[in-house]
Amino acid sequence: MKLWHSFVKELQLSSKSWYFYIEVGMAVVLLLILLVAVPEETDSRTDEYLYAGDLPSDYVDLIYRGLLDDEDEDSEYERVQIKVGGDLFGADLFVTDTRNIYFVDNREAVLRLAKEDKEVGIEIIPSSDGGLDYLYYLQGYESQKLKNLYMVLQNNKVNYKFVERHMDRQTVETIEKDPFVLNNRENIVPVFLTYNGSLMGLFIIAAYIFLDKKEGIAMAYAVTASKVWHYLMSKIGVMMVTTISTGLILVIPVMGARANYPLIVLLVVATAFAFSSLGLVVTTYYRDMMQSFGAFFIIIVALILPNVSYFAPSWEPSWIKYFPTYHILEGFKEAISIGGSAGYVIFVSIVFLAAGLVLFMFANYRFKKTLTI
Amino acid sequence: MISVKNLYHSYSNDEKYAVKDVSFEITEGEVFGFLGPSGAGKSTTQGILTGLLQLQKGDVTVAGYDIKHIKNEMFNKIGMSFEQSNVYSKMTGKENLEFYRKLFDVKTRNPQELLDLVGLGDKGDIKAGEYSKGMKHRLTFARSMINNPTLWFLDEPTTGLDPAIASEIKSIIKEKNKEGVTIFLTTHNMFIADELCDRVGFIVDGEIKLIDSPKNLKLQYGEKFVDVEYVDGKEAKKESLSFMEKDDIGRLKEILDSYEIRTMHTKEATLEEIFIKVTGRELV
Repeated sequence: MKLWHSFVKELQLSSKSWYFYIEVGMAVVLLLILLVAVPEETDSRTDEYLYAGDLPSDYVDLIYRGLLDDEDEDSEYERVQIKVGGDLFGADLFVTDTRNIYFVDNREAVLRLAKEDKEVGIEIIPSSDGGLDYLYYLQGYESQKLKNLYMVLQNNKVNYKFVERHMDRQTVETIEKDPFVLNNRENIVPVFLTYNGSLMGLFIIAAYIFLDKKEGIAMAYAVTASKVWHYLMSKIGVMMVTTISTGLILVIPVMGARANYPLIVLLVVATAFAFSSLGLVVTTYYRDMMQSFGAFFIIIVALILPNVSYFAPSWEPSWIKYFPTYHILEGFKEAISIGGSAGYVIFVSIVFLAAGLVLFMFANYRFKKTLTI
Repeated sequence: MISVKNLYHSYSNDEKYAVKDVSFEITEGEVFGFLGPSGAGKSTTQGILTGLLQLQKGDVTVAGYDIKHIKNEMFNKIGMSFEQSNVYSKMTGKENLEFYRKLFDVKTRNPQELLDLVGLGDKGDIKAGEYSKGMKHRLTFARSMINNPTLWFLDEPTTGLDPAIASEIKSIIKEKNKEGVTIFLTTHNMFIADELCDRVGFIVDGEIKLIDSPKNLKLQYGEKFVDVEYVDGKEAKKESLSFMEKDDIGRLKEILDSYEIRTMHTKEATLEEIFIKVTGRELV
C-alpha cells in the first residue's frame, strides 16, 4: 500500500511538473510534424534532363515510342515548363517507376541544368555509324565506377543486352512473399518509442531524484517507515505511465488499429523500467545533475548510435547489435508491423525486464547508502 | 532510549573524523540538548541516529533498534523535524501531511489537527510552495508528529520563527515531553536549550566536551551576580556584585542598609557563557 500511495503521489506531482508537459508537448509536436510535414511515401524518382533536338525526328519518335511502350507509367508523356534560373524552357516529361525523364527543347537548358542545378544532363546525338551517342554532362566528382556504368549502358562495345541476358540467368529466390513495409511516417514511430522510453526515462528520473535531494524531500522520505525501493519504484512507475501515454499519443494517430498495442505496451514498460533503473544507478554516483551530465552524455550518444543503421541499413556493422537500442528499435518495428514477430518482441521485453531488475536491485543497494547525502 | 558508544564518522572515509569517540545515553522521557557551533558534529551524530547516515564505527541503539541493521519499523517510533524545511512545494499543507501519514504502520494524527496545533489551520489548502519560510518550518515540524513518535528528533526547531510562534513551538515540545516523549534537541541556541532540556551535551570539533543538566552546569561553572541600582545623595549609582566573593557580599549588605534601592536583579551565568568557559569556543 505504501508503494501505491507513493506512486499516486508521484503521479500527482509529475502532473504538476514541467517535465510531464514537456514530454507530452514533444509527443504532440512530433505527431504534428509526422502528419503534416512527412509524406507517407517519398518520391524517390531521379530527374534526368535530355536534349535530343539534333536527332532526326524519326529517331526521336522511336525513342519516345520505346519509352511510352515499355517504361512510362501511364503511356502518355506530358508537356511541361521547367525553370532554369529565371528562364522557362519547354520539355516533354516521361514518368517511369524510377525516373522523371525530361526531353528538353533547348540544349542550353540542359547545360545550365547540369551547371547551375547540378542535375544529370544528357545530350543524345547521332553517331557516325548511324546509331546514337550519349553525351553526359557530369559534375566532375562522380566516381569512375559510375562513369563505367554509363559506358556499359550506352557503349555498344560492352553490350548492355549481354549484361541484361547475364542478369536474367541469375536465380532470385523470394524468402518472404509480400513483406509488410512501413511507410515513411510509420518508420519513424519505432525511433520515437525507443528514445522516448529509454533516453527520457534515463534523463528525467535522474532530474526527479536530484530535485528531491536538493529540496531535502529524499531525507524526509528516508525517516518514514516506507522502504527505499518503494520510493524508487514509484518514480519508475511514473516514468512508465508517462512513456506509455506519450507513446500512444503518437502511435494511435499514425498506426491506427494496425499496430499490436499489447506488444507495444509490453516493450515500452520493459525498456522504461530498464533505462529508468540505469538512470537511478548513475544518479547514485553523483550529487547533482551538473556533475552527472558527462556520464549521461556518453550513455545517450551510445544509445543513439543504432539510429544510424536504422535509417541507413547499408551501414550495419556487427558490433552495432551489442547496443541495447538496436534491439528495441527492431522490437518496436516488429510490434507495429502487420505480421511482425511477436516472439522477438516478447524475448526482447523479457531481456530488458531482467536487466532492469538487476539494475534496480543495484540502485536500491546504492541508494540505501547515498539517498540522503 | 538512545545509547551511543564510541561513535566515529568520517565523510572522506579516512582519519579525518567529523565525529570522534562520542558516547552518551538518553533515558526515556528525557529532553537532551545537543549543543555546539556549526560544523561541530551535531548534524552528523543526529544523521547517524536517524539512519540518514550510515554507521561506520561504534555501537548505537535507538528506540531499542541496533542502527547497524536498521529496520523500517523503527521509524514508526521516530519523528524528525529538519532544520531546513523539506516539504512538497506543489502539494498543499494538508496533502503533505496526508501523504506522509500513509507511510507509517501505526496510528497517525489527523492532519488538520496538526495544522491547527502549529498555527496553520486556515492555510491547509494552500500549496506549501506559497508558504513563507516560517510556515514551511512549522509544516515540517507538524509532519514530524504525524506518527505520534515516542522519540522525537528536533533540529533547530525555532530557527527563523517569530518570538510568538517560537513560544508556541516550545510549548508543544514541553507538552509532548510531559506525555512521555523522549526528545533529542539539536541547536546552537542556548536559551531554548536552557529552557527545555533536562541535560545538555556540548560538542566541539566532533568531540563531546561535557554532559550535564543546565542547573548543575550553572552551579559548577556559573558565578552569580546581583546588579543593584541605588541613590547616593542625589546621584543614582549601579554596581554589579558577586555572590561568591566575601567582599562583594559585605558591600551588598552595606548598600542595602545605607541607601535607597531603586532596582536589584540577580544574574546567573548563561549556558552560552558556560559553553565558552568550558570549550573556549563561541557558539557561532
